[in-house]
Amino acid sequence: MISAILLSGGVGSRMHNSMPKQYMLLAGKPVIMHTVERLDTIESIKNIIIVCSEEYRSAIDLMLKQYGIRKFVKFAPAGQTRQASVRSGLSFVETEAVMIHEAARPFVQTEDFSRLIESTDENVIIGSPINYTVIKGDDCVTGLLERSELVNVQLPQKFNTELLKSAHEKAVKEEKKFTEDASLLYYYDQSVRIRIMEGTEYNIKITNPIDMVIGDMIYREYFQRRA
Amino acid sequence: MGTCVITGAGDGIGRATAIEVSKCGYYDSFALLGRNLKAMENTVSLMGDVHVKIYEIDFVNVEKIPEIIGRVYKDFHSIDCLLNIAGYTDPQPLLSTSLESFELTYRVNVFAPFLLMRECTKYMKRRGGKILNVASTAGMTPRPGWLSYASSKASVIAMSQTLTDELAEYDIKVYCISPGRCATKLRRKLAPDEDPSTIMQPEEVADVINKLIDPNDTCLDGQNIVIRKRF
Repeated sequence: MISAILLSGGVGSRMHNSMPKQYMLLAGKPVIMHTVERLDTIESIKNIIIVCSEEYRSAIDLMLKQYGIRKFVKFAPAGQTRQASVRSGLSFVETEAVMIHEAARPFVQTEDFSRLIESTDENVIIGSPINYTVIKGDDCVTGLLERSELVNVQLPQKFNTELLKSAHEKAVKEEKKFTEDASLLYYYDQSVRIRIMEGTEYNIKITNPIDMVIGDMIYREYFQRRA
Repeated sequence: MGTCVITGAGDGIGRATAIEVSKCGYYDSFALLGRNLKAMENTVSLMGDVHVKIYEIDFVNVEKIPEIIGRVYKDFHSIDCLLNIAGYTDPQPLLSTSLESFELTYRVNVFAPFLLMRECTKYMKRRGGKILNVASTAGMTPRPGWLSYASSKASVIAMSQTLTDELAEYDIKVYCISPGRCATKLRRKLAPDEDPSTIMQPEEVADVINKLIDPNDTCLDGQNIVIRKRF
């Protein structure tokens, strides 16, 4: 069995909307519920830990009832950073393995979760090749990166719970900041194998207002038409 | 096989459908929802060799629907098909239509199907299913004097079309049929002087419903299917 942490602590500042993006409606349904409904259908998920700010708990709780969600759902308080939110969610995990996903990525398929869970590797992330050039720089170019060596890191990700918890504790002690968990785990233990599974081009993160428009098209193309 | 929920099975199209569908082998369990227990028991006696349970509810009291559907799921462990057939009419021109009459029509014809679809979807969405709503040609063309009924059936058509897209992700197909003149008690209220033997019979509508809810049919959802008999 595995626990699923669903990060939902974002405030959606780039959406120019008073409501965080994960609670806005996408194809008539709150963004967060697209993912929760899919997690709810996977037998091997023991529970879902939703990391969110206190003020949205009752709204999410109501959604869980409205959508007939049957999995046991726990709530963990969101932290000041994504890293702190993951750490908060991890404190509620009791299973050997944990899967991390974020509510702002509603186009993950049930099959994506399943192949992560069923993988024999303990630590697996979803990633895709980068089809654009990335360079180092601020207002001037300061260095080059080899595109063929880079991977666009997506979610969901699966980890050995103890390994990840331990890496997070080290990061707290050293006050190191990471933007996602494969980087964090790799930084503290490069002997750990973290497998990369190829993701899909439509597993986008809803970040800017235009993503809701694109998201609506993705939903129609990949979910309604597929059905 | 699965469970089929049917409303309005006490007579007319609902009864004919319950009998026909029970004999075709798509579902092995049936939940009949309605207020006339005796009429539904009579329907059960005409149905095929299937497991049937009757749930008493007057659809005026739509607030009871979530609890009833919860009981259906508890009894049968699945809900795979919902046939919203129960209907009500109180044909009046605008100036004679009371708010009470209008609301009663909407409770039975609109609020009940809405709540039944919402509650059944909670259980159906895990493995897909079929929903069929019975609207009416009255919902598509102007019928002076039938204000509440015609507008309520227009709502059923719109709800069906909306939910066809919304529920596609769950592999739930939503069908809508609009029968024309059909020899039912409801039709008698709308056209008291009409000879019922000269118009379409409930069994003929039931035959179409039966074809639509065949698990192999996937092509006719999302459209308002008019059923008319040409004489």
